[in-house]
Amino acid sequence: MTSPRVAVTGLGFWATGFPTVAAWIAGAPDATADKPQGKALDRVNRRRAGPLDRALADVVAEAIAQAGVDPASVPVVVGSSIGEAVTMIGLLDEMWRNHNPMSPADFTMSVHNAASGLISISNKNRGMTTSIAADENTPAAALLEGIGLALTREVPVVVACADEPAPPTLVQHAPPWAMLASAIVLAPQGAARALAHLEVEERGAPTIAPGPFAPLLLQNPQIGLALVVDAIARGAPGVLPLDRGTGRGHVARISVGAP
Amino acid sequence: MRTDPLRVTGYAMLSALGGSRDEHLRSLIEGRTGLGKPPFELPFATAVGAVTTPLPELPAPLAPWSTRLARMSAQLIAQLDEPLRRARQKWRPERIAVLLGTSTAGADSTERAYRAFIADGRFPDRYDFLRQHTFGAVLHVVAELAGARGPAWMVSTACTSSAKPFASATRLMATGMIDAAIVGGVDTLCQMTLHGFESLQALDRAPCRPFHKDRLGISIGEGGAFALVERTGDARVLVEGVGETSDAYHVSAPHPEGAGALAAMKEALHFAGRAADDVDHVNAHGTGTKLNDSAEAKAIGALFARPIPVVSTKCYTGHTLGAAGALEFAFSACAIEEGWVPPALGADELDPEIRLHVPRDVVRGTYRRVMSNSFAFGGNNVAILVGAP
Repeated sequence: MTSPRVAVTGLGFWATGFPTVAAWIAGAPDATADKPQGKALDRVNRRRAGPLDRALADVVAEAIAQAGVDPASVPVVVGSSIGEAVTMIGLLDEMWRNHNPMSPADFTMSVHNAASGLISISNKNRGMTTSIAADENTPAAALLEGIGLALTREVPVVVACADEPAPPTLVQHAPPWAMLASAIVLAPQGAARALAHLEVEERGAPTIAPGPFAPLLLQNPQIGLALVVDAIARGAPGVLPLDRGTGRGHVARISVGAP
Repeated sequence: MRTDPLRVTGYAMLSALGGSRDEHLRSLIEGRTGLGKPPFELPFATAVGAVTTPLPELPAPLAPWSTRLARMSAQLIAQLDEPLRRARQKWRPERIAVLLGTSTAGADSTERAYRAFIADGRFPDRYDFLRQHTFGAVLHVVAELAGARGPAWMVSTACTSSAKPFASATRLMATGMIDAAIVGGVDTLCQMTLHGFESLQALDRAPCRPFHKDRLGISIGEGGAFALVERTGDARVLVEGVGETSDAYHVSAPHPEGAGALAAMKEALHFAGRAADDVDHVNAHGTGTKLNDSAEAKAIGALFARPIPVVSTKCYTGHTLGAAGALEFAFSACAIEEGWVPPALGADELDPEIRLHVPRDVVRGTYRRVMSNSFAFGGNNVAILVGAP
C-alpha cells in the first residue's frame, strides 16, 4: 500500500532542551526548556493538563502557526502509544495503595483523548478531533488518518504524536525513553506554503540518515513523526522509517520543492 | 472528494444480552435488561451490564496476549467467520484494515496485576503491559485472527471510540488505501472506571433510566461489536455518513444546548446527502444522566420535525463506554433489518422537558435510516447515519 501524496505546510517539535523546530535545527539545547509549557492552552485547561497534554498543545500550536491555518476549525489527529498511562497509575495508587476516593478531575484526565479535548476547548475548535494509538506504529497510523481526512474533506489537518516516559513499574523489560512530541500540518496537493510533500508506504529502505537524536529519543514510540519533522526542516528528501525498528516497517517518502 | 457509503456485509455483537445477534434480538423484543449485580465487590451500589457469554481461549501462539478484552474480541471475530472468509477470498490481506476503538484497553488486566504488585511487590508472572494493556495488543490479536494485514489502529476518544472507526474506514476506502475493514470496538468492566464514574457522582444505584424524569445516572456495561465493511458486496446495511464534531466547551460536561451533538448529526446527514426527514429512528447516546440526556434531547428536538422513535439501548446493556458506538451501530442495523424498535426501559415517566417520542413498547415499522449518536469526555461527538441498502 502506498498512500496518496499530500503537502506538508507546518511543523512543530518538542523535546527536553528543544522547545521548537528552530531550536532543534539550531542544535543548541536550552537548559531552561526542561518541561513543556502548554502555552497554547487557556489558563483553566493548562492547570488540568499534564506534561503530555502540554507538549501536544505546544507542537500543535507551532505547526498551526507556521501553516497559517485556523485553529478554530482545523481537524486535529493526536497519536500516542501509551497516552495517559502515568495518570492511570496515579489513579490505581490512590484507589488501592492509599485507599483514597478517586479524584474526579484526575479520572476525566485519564482518557486517551484528554489532550485533544483540551486543545479543542482552548482553541474553541468545534470541528473534528481524534486520538489514536497503534503502539509503535502510531506515527504511520496517525499520518494515514490525517491523509484520509485532508483528502476527503479537502482541508488542512494537524497530525501530532507524543509519548511521555512509560511508568517504569509497568514497563520493566523494555528500553526507557524520553518525552518527545512533534506535529505536522498536511494539506491536499497544490496547497500554498508547501514545505514538502509526503506519502506513506507499507515498507521500504530508509535513505535519510536520522538527525542528531539521542538514544532516549530514538526509543520513543513516536520517533517516526519526529524524524519526518526533522528531515523536512532540514530540507532533506528521501525515505524515513516511521517506527523505531520493530514495528510493521512503514516508511515516509518525502520530497521537497515543487510537487 | 466524494465518499461512498460503506457496505456492511456482516456484524457481530457481544454484551450483557448475549454473544450473538439472535440473543440480543430476543432480549430487546422481550424488553429484558441485561443489567444486574457487579461481578466483583464494590464499596458502593450500582448495576452493571456484565458479559456472561463463555469467551474462547486464544490460539496457542496468541496466548501471551490473552486478556478478557482480547478474548471478547476473539468471540466477535468468530461470529464474523463466514463473511470474513468471503472477504479474504475477494481482497488481499494488506487491503483489509483493522480499525477499532476502546476506552479501557487492557485496564482490567493492569489493575488486577497492579493490585498484586502493591500486595506482593511483584507483578504476576504472566502479566505483560505491552501485550496485555496497550492499544496495539488487541489490534494484533484481531489482525491475526482475521487474517488482515492492512492499516490498523485503535481510536480512543472515550465513549465515541468505536463510532469513529466507521469514519476512518470511509476515508481509507475513498482514498483507495483499502478495500475492506473490520471496524468496531470493545471495552471491559474494570474497577477504575466504576470508581471514576462514582467520583463524578454519575452512577445510578439501580439500572439506568435514560430520559426518565427522575433519572439518576449511568449503569456501566461491557461488550463490543465488530462490523465487516467492504467496497463491494451484498450489504446488510450501509453506513451513509458519519459526523464528527467537538463541543469545545468542557472536558466532562456536555454543551447544555447540545450544540456539538446537533452539529454531528447535521454533518452525518450532509456527508450522506440526506435530510433530517429521511431519518426514521434515533438510537440515542442516552446515558441516563441529567445533563447528557437533556442536552441530547434538545439537539434531537431541534433537528427532527417528525416524532420519530428515540431509544437509548443503554437501559439493556449499560453504557459500554468505548464499545458503545459500535454496539449501538449494531442495534441501529437490527432496527433496519428487523423492522422494529425496542421499548425504552425505565422511561415510564418521561422528563417533561424532554419532548421526544420515547416508546415504551416495541414500535414496528419500516426503518430506512437510523441515526446512532455517541458523545464523550473531551466534548467529542459522533453521529452515524445507518441506512438500508
